[in-house]
Amino acid sequence: MVKNKPIPVKINLTPKEIRMVRKLLGREPTYVEWGMFDIMWSEHCSYKSSKPILKKLPTSSPKVLVGPGYDSGIVDVGDGMAVAFKVESHNHPSAIEPYNGAATGIGGIVRDILATGARPILLIDPLRFGRLETGRTKWLFRYVVKGIGDYGNCIGVPTVAGEVEFDESFETNCLVNVACYGLVRKDKIFLARFDKPGDILVLIGGATGRDGIHGVTFASKTISEESEEDRPAVQIGDPFTKKLLIEAVLEVLETGYVDGVKDLGGGGLTCATSEMAAKGGTGVEIILDNLHVREEGMNPYELMLSESQERMLLAVNPEGLSKVLGILEKYEIPYSIIGKVTDSGKLIVKFKDEIVASIPPKYLAEAPIIKRKAKKPLNLEKLWRIKKPKEPKNFSEILYKLVSTPNIACKEWVYQQYDHEVGVRTILKPGGSDAAVLRIIETGKAIAVKADCNSRHSYLDPFNGGAGALAEASRNVVCVGAEPLAYTDCCNFGNPEKPEVFWQFKRGVEGLAYMSRKLGIPCVGGNVSFYNEDSESKIAVKPSLVVVILGLIENLDWITTMDLKNSGDQIVIVGKTYPELGGSEYYHEIHGLTGGKPPKADGNREKATLQTVMEAIRKGLVTAAHDCSKGGLAIALALMAIKGKLGVKVDLSKIPTSKPIRMDELLFSESHSRIILTTSTKENAKQILKIANKKGAPANLVGKVTDDDNFTLTFDGRKIVECSVTQMERFWKETIPKALEVG
Amino acid sequence: MIQTFIVEVIIENKPAARDPEGETIHKDLILKGGYENVKSVRTGKYLKFLVEAEDEKHAEKIVFDLCNALRIYNPVVHTHKILVKGG
Amino acid sequence: MKVAVIQFPGSNCDLDVVHVLRNILNIPTDLVWHKFFQNKIYDAVILPGGFSYGDYLRSGAIASHSPAMEEVKKMAEDGKPVLGICNGFQILIEAGLLPGALLPNDCLKFVCKWVILKCETSRTAFTCLIPEGKILYMPVAHKEGRYFNLEEDLKSIWKEQQVVFRYVDENGNPTLEANPNGSIQNIASVCNKEGNVVGLMPHPERASEKILSPYKNSDGLLLFESMINYLKR
Repeated sequence: MVKNKPIPVKINLTPKEIRMVRKLLGREPTYVEWGMFDIMWSEHCSYKSSKPILKKLPTSSPKVLVGPGYDSGIVDVGDGMAVAFKVESHNHPSAIEPYNGAATGIGGIVRDILATGARPILLIDPLRFGRLETGRTKWLFRYVVKGIGDYGNCIGVPTVAGEVEFDESFETNCLVNVACYGLVRKDKIFLARFDKPGDILVLIGGATGRDGIHGVTFASKTISEESEEDRPAVQIGDPFTKKLLIEAVLEVLETGYVDGVKDLGGGGLTCATSEMAAKGGTGVEIILDNLHVREEGMNPYELMLSESQERMLLAVNPEGLSKVLGILEKYEIPYSIIGKVTDSGKLIVKFKDEIVASIPPKYLAEAPIIKRKAKKPLNLEKLWRIKKPKEPKNFSEILYKLVSTPNIACKEWVYQQYDHEVGVRTILKPGGSDAAVLRIIETGKAIAVKADCNSRHSYLDPFNGGAGALAEASRNVVCVGAEPLAYTDCCNFGNPEKPEVFWQFKRGVEGLAYMSRKLGIPCVGGNVSFYNEDSESKIAVKPSLVVVILGLIENLDWITTMDLKNSGDQIVIVGKTYPELGGSEYYHEIHGLTGGKPPKADGNREKATLQTVMEAIRKGLVTAAHDCSKGGLAIALALMAIKGKLGVKVDLSKIPTSKPIRMDELLFSESHSRIILTTSTKENAKQILKIANKKGAPANLVGKVTDDDNFTLTFDGRKIVECSVTQMERFWKETIPKALEVG
Repeated sequence: MIQTFIVEVIIENKPAARDPEGETIHKDLILKGGYENVKSVRTGKYLKFLVEAEDEKHAEKIVFDLCNALRIYNPVVHTHKILVKGG
Repeated sequence: MKVAVIQFPGSNCDLDVVHVLRNILNIPTDLVWHKFFQNKIYDAVILPGGFSYGDYLRSGAIASHSPAMEEVKKMAEDGKPVLGICNGFQILIEAGLLPGALLPNDCLKFVCKWVILKCETSRTAFTCLIPEGKILYMPVAHKEGRYFNLEEDLKSIWKEQQVVFRYVDENGNPTLEANPNGSIQNIASVCNKEGNVVGLMPHPERASEKILSPYKNSDGLLLFESMINYLKR
């Protein structure tokens, strides 16, 4: 074996990895094989840095049918039905071509759900951009939303929820995460593996071109001036072909002649075939000459690594081949028969009658783990201890300002561009409540879905940030009447080769694992996006661990919304408020401060609050529910008032708090485990307090809903906040449209 | 001397990038309509600028610069042609 | 009685319409792939919403050339009820079965929200159970829904009672704010001279069950019930 033979293609493997490849094969790899290892062992495809950390997450529960490791997690929702869901990131492409980057992100995630045999029924888009004032942010924001809208609307899958967070750390590297949920019968679930030698491999969908060669390894490098020149790295989405694929694949799966389905995403044909064969314990033989292509003269390296969009791979029982092809022809979907499943235990690739690659699939699918160093950033402790600002007196003015800040302001401008009604399942639409609720027509039940993350909290304390994301997501689905069942997570971080960044990732996942265990909510899959860092300024994004959750509502009577309903309703708060202004909207927007002690996510407190609210809702005691998050309880009450178009009178001295606590901490602290409830009578309020007491959650009756425009918060008779609800509504509604319609 | 020029900008997807709209129009409308002589269709965006400038070159430069500064097209996926007419 | 819902490549509201017809109104309904559609066995046909052919070139432009449309034209000529919802409306216009044009929304963005409609005529196959002047609540979700026609033709369609619904406020006034897309004269729906072919941009199938409506209404059902009533005459 010639040791230092030059490698004939550009690859990003480390010297150690290169040695490993040569050792595994026992010979010098062909240039096609180098390309295949390069892509399969890239961070994005292999999760080589993150696997050891992700193992900490609890992944099972009686309702989990399929956990992490497959195309998507699948959860039992009763009566023979299951929900498949997954989240993905398309950060790097969106940062250089927002429209197509975001659109193809949707294309990718929908294919993952389809590959389990599920019909995609909803999309969620958690987005993160830089400061709203900058030209770059406005450009990215406009076109990402347009890309998601055009694609999602065209394929007829409603985008029903999402979030938009603005922070300077996302200026260069925006974060575009998309989640998709699908519905499937329990007995019709498909698992992505080729386990029947003799099956015929049919490649269906878009023709293969030179798209994205090195797209995945591109995602494992940081953004710099150079990447604007990386022409093939961003593909054009084709939602029309995707829609036809959805219908064709679902129909083809019904025939019973398809044994395996896999989508072609990052890593193209190489990834699809090696993963499927590795899982199935089989081999695969591919004849590249058979692929249907749209560019002339493609070589085998390009054919194996291409990331052309809208392609899927089917493993078809030869007896049913003509039936399957007949369905593809009905929908006029291009296809090619490219090979077969074998029992050789090898992935063999032929081109012009020559074998250009022959690799046992598990070598490709199981990249060697990299143990990275984690080190706590030195400045964190100091940041926690920054001097508190002087306590202000003009709280009404502050509330008017806070309600209009970009992170809190109304996002109607975004979701009105998404068809959120198609499919006639959407009961609670975007903007109306804490989570979106869709009915499962087949069973008479409903699911609640949401995505949550607080990057500012995570930056100051990744452990509590990660735990807090799950806590917040759970609160949100509980507020609409659901029980949280499972979640998937999207981890967006900077360069993991930096110990400080890896520490953020490690601690974030540890926090998430902690809360998972405490609440008994398993993780059924996830996505990791590293290298979200500007190569020039070295600014990494604030750590963003997004939790995408699934809740189940067994009885449609439990569905609850956040808008105040009737004058005279009593207001109860469950959960204690602590002086935790670190990472709060109040500190950042009103005082320009980064620092302070961020909120602690305590599993026991969270459990007590969630159980209290679930029981109160099921007993029919609750007329409105909303959790406290960004902006604290003042903003939570304000939004309930704005949406209900009713007033509020609350005595702040009745709010359960730790002591001592300043007035601004009371109003704007973003402590976890707090939910605000309204109920129609004082008697009902007493009952809620009884339940809270039983569950061990601090709770109190704090005020009532009024029939006027006044939003009044008092303390010992003193008026602390006195705002007009219609005025707050105006400020809340103005921010986003004003920023985007002007320049 | 200041004159008025018509400057046309045609923006298309780069030849290496797919054009699903063009492909679908070709396959599902043109070919199905029997026009087999048409070998391909590409779509694009057409912008017509009315520009005051000293000469053709000046008019072209103004439009060229604004296309880049205002991201009228994205060099990652688009090509653009600028044609100056009239005086 | 048998109703067909035609599925074009890219239609995506077809299953929603089928759900309302079969599960709520118990009407025998066939979902038919456009290539296989034949008019003779059906008493009525519905062209559902979606993005046929990706909305490429112009919404509804490519679908209007489908052989299915020849069959739909025959049904229209035979006086059978033909309903085009959203993309279906666009296809009927492109196929020449309804007057006018549907252009991109004036705000240039896709708009998904609930709107208020006023019924302008009860003479059509889909409004015979809806009194003139009645207010209905329905959602719209489209990017190219701006109804447009030339002045002369507008005068003519009003004269022939071919305007079916208009966007209005709660008081029934066709205001600027009530108009989601800039349609001329707030026109949301038109019909042919005979009144059996109707096209509308809003989605009645999404407003047929109280649980889905922010107003807790099911006004959309009235269009389908009118169709049943018309067929029974």
